[in-house]
Amino acid sequence: MPDTKGSRKDGARTPYIELKNITHDYGAVRALDDVSFWVLPGEIVGLVGDNGAGKSTLIKIISGVLHPTRGEMIVGGRKARFDSARAAMERGIETIYQDMNLIDVMDIMRNIFFGRELTHPLGFLKVKEMKKRAMDVLEKEITIEGIRSPHQRVGNLSGGQKQAVAIARAMFFKNQVLLLDEPTSALSVRETQAFLNHIMHLRDEGLSVVIVTHNLYHAYQVADRFVILSHGKKLADTPREGTSAEELIKIIVGN
Amino acid sequence: MLESILKKPTAAELYMRLRRGRAGNIIVLFVVVQALAILCGIVFPGNFRYLDQGNIQLMLKAIPSLAITALGVNLLMIAGEFDLSVGATFTFTALVMAKIFNAHMPLGIAVLAALALGAAIGFLNGLIVVKTNVPSFIVTLGSMWFWRGIILIISQAVTESFYPSAFFTQLFTLNVGPMQIQFLWALLIAMLCWFFLERHKVGNFFFGVGGNRNAASALGVNVGRVKIIAFVITGFLTAFAGIMSTVRINSISPIQGEGLELQAIAACVIGGTALMGGRGTILGAFLGAALMFTIQDILLLLQAPGFYLRMFVGIVIVIAAALNEMLKKE
Repeated sequence: MPDTKGSRKDGARTPYIELKNITHDYGAVRALDDVSFWVLPGEIVGLVGDNGAGKSTLIKIISGVLHPTRGEMIVGGRKARFDSARAAMERGIETIYQDMNLIDVMDIMRNIFFGRELTHPLGFLKVKEMKKRAMDVLEKEITIEGIRSPHQRVGNLSGGQKQAVAIARAMFFKNQVLLLDEPTSALSVRETQAFLNHIMHLRDEGLSVVIVTHNLYHAYQVADRFVILSHGKKLADTPREGTSAEELIKIIVGN
Repeated sequence: MLESILKKPTAAELYMRLRRGRAGNIIVLFVVVQALAILCGIVFPGNFRYLDQGNIQLMLKAIPSLAITALGVNLLMIAGEFDLSVGATFTFTALVMAKIFNAHMPLGIAVLAALALGAAIGFLNGLIVVKTNVPSFIVTLGSMWFWRGIILIISQAVTESFYPSAFFTQLFTLNVGPMQIQFLWALLIAMLCWFFLERHKVGNFFFGVGGNRNAASALGVNVGRVKIIAFVITGFLTAFAGIMSTVRINSISPIQGEGLELQAIAACVIGGTALMGGRGTILGAFLGAALMFTIQDILLLLQAPGFYLRMFVGIVIVIAAALNEMLKKE
């Protein structure tokens, strides 16, 4: 049965990210209560739980948006205290939020590279190279239905296409950890399958992925391990093997 | 897709492609107005002297000051901010230059002081906007009145003359074909602005910051710093325009440049720049400024009384903005 204490049993591999006894308060409200969480290299973790369970808070702490009230974080073997999302990105942690952080007025290419443009020494853009690399990503890494050119404006795309652009962007900058907040909520059935295949492909390349989702069935198709939160506490931390989706749902709704 | 590229496009397709381009509307509007004016100039050469050399020269002289100011304001609007103080900056920086020069200081120092002052006023505007979160519309409204007051104090409401060296005067007034060299200055600055906006990282940030401030911030861009840079460029270019205009007419009056801030915003809006930021082109702002003078010129040639001018500019602004809204929805 699921282990509820949250002690790490996989002694063979060192986690890329490890959070130890994290507590976070929003004023008087305790959003996270003594939660320990880790992600191994090449592992997909499904972070699940009902609304208000503390999933978003945990993601925000890892991605550098929030500082935990108590507890420590170790990234890549070093203690980490991120001052900004940028700092987390520089340590290889990329986050895609539900609102996707895309700039509607810009085209796909400029969105993929925004903030991390390829430039000549004086800061002038390598437009041709960015275009070529953007084409590569769109053709090989993640094919997006209905997208023919990296110069299409993001504002004219559907919700699913936008999500795919955000994922393409995250995939482009080969990071160690990808944090996905409700990644499949705006995708069609077909897009979801394509997306889940990409996630597994990334894991095979050694990337770690954390999927935050309400849709346990989507997560169940790809996750190696599940962490279940409820009211800020870790309820269970269990490998998929030997646990059915129904059992997981029972834990989520059961209390 | 490929076929449509290889196939020779029809005139209608070319037109649609042009309209869909980012500066499509203003190009079409500008060409239509020019074509009509030129046609009338050919058909009625005696009554409508649009193609007279004198008329062309007059227009090409009038455009650069507004165009250069509008280029700066355009960059700032793309980054999502306004500057209502450019008219005051224009006059104040030129006045300081004339005062320094007339106090027998070297011309070089006077000019550099004016340019530095323009940039500094922009910096101050930007800093206040970023630090206080007061909308730039309000901050620069205050800035406009403040500098207008300073102008009156140091000028004592008297026009300051400015007669620099012949070489410096030639730098802005030399005749090159039908135009004065200052028109070439405006073109050069427009090209530099284009390279900055479309081909430089920071120019790219302007679109991002103006288009989706939160996303730009989440992607690691320092939004405040980018906005301040935009204000500094605007102040600098405005000072440049003020210097150029002052050299041309050899004086700077304290009421010079009044209304320039709104003309510059109008030129940008006619050129397709969005009031909410994130959208705009260099070509659009330049043609927007040129179009305002073209319409002014046409009305003068038709001997319409002066007050018609404002009416027509008002109508053109609204029509251009409506066209741009339609384009956005397509």
